[in-house]
Amino acid sequence: MKAYEWARERTGLDQIWTALMERKIPEARGWVGLLYTLGSATMMIFTVQAVTGFLLATNYVPSPDHAYDSVRYIDSQVLFGRVVRGLHHWGATFMVVFAVLHMMRVYFMGSYKYPREATWMAGVGLLLLVLGFSFTGYLLPWDQKAYWATVVGTTIAGTTPFVGAMIADILRGSDGMGPRP
Amino acid sequence: MSGPDGCGCAGKGCTEKTPEEIGRRAFLTRTIVALSAVITAALSTTGLGYFVSPAFQRRDEDWVDLGRAGDFKAGAPRLVEFTQRKRDAWVTSERRSAAWVVTSDGKTFTAFDPRCTHLGCPYRWDAGSSRFICPCHTAVFGPDGKVLSGPAPRPLDQYQTKLEGSRLAILPKAEQIT
Repeated sequence: MKAYEWARERTGLDQIWTALMERKIPEARGWVGLLYTLGSATMMIFTVQAVTGFLLATNYVPSPDHAYDSVRYIDSQVLFGRVVRGLHHWGATFMVVFAVLHMMRVYFMGSYKYPREATWMAGVGLLLLVLGFSFTGYLLPWDQKAYWATVVGTTIAGTTPFVGAMIADILRGSDGMGPRP
Repeated sequence: MSGPDGCGCAGKGCTEKTPEEIGRRAFLTRTIVALSAVITAALSTTGLGYFVSPAFQRRDEDWVDLGRAGDFKAGAPRLVEFTQRKRDAWVTSERRSAAWVVTSDGKTFTAFDPRCTHLGCPYRWDAGSSRFICPCHTAVFGPDGKVLSGPAPRPLDQYQTKLEGSRLAILPKAEQIT
């Protein structure tokens, strides 16, 4: 308790507590109140993704030569490797799910209206970032699913009028997937 | 907290409670904090275990077989070349190397790293004087690896040796002898 008091006086612990646990929301009653947790859920998943992503990066090698083998190594040899990768895998999926649900909550409740337009714009940017990470992260295991999903995804990007070929080249890093044959 | 569902505070409609009783809000707060603590503990144990696991990994000992121990004659050191296969995670690499094997009685064996301790030149055995001689800067070592003359700062580096039945094996990791 002494340590807690020490930290309380010197940090903003109380404000963090208030922001997280005692935030004022319009409809606190019933199940509607639960909708206000979607943003926090997204942030929680983001934290998990950042930490597990850092951990995986200590063993993963992002090159066509080693990507697949290093992922198999993480799965089969590293302590808790399967759990950490599993967390990252499912976290990636649910990050998109919760970010979209959160956006829908904001949209249908009109929470983007004055004075919150800037929050909405930032949110749209973050959602695009999440989708971008979701697309690029899907490639990393470098298995058949990852490879062909990225072939399909970059080909779709390539159908953009006028600049399509350029976009596809940027996404693939060259005119084909993986090392040049 | 206020409202008809009862609480521990002094809002209107609330009854005073004894200190032992906890209100709905306090109960929920404690439950949330406890659950969060459990989740945090589970996640950080996993992450921490993953992060520190290299420190507790079992390491392969890469002993290399050098052939029958009887083939090494006393007083005639022999340079043995070998190929070492090493596994590190998902990569297997091969390394060609060599060792000078010396025995004085055919029972105990010493293996020397084939590089001079001065600047790393490969030295040779001079049968006439029974010494190891480095051609680069004329460092001279005895058959026990000790420096006899020249610029070498320490005796020849050694490899661990062991007998597996009638075969000689070495662990090709240079160990400094001071």
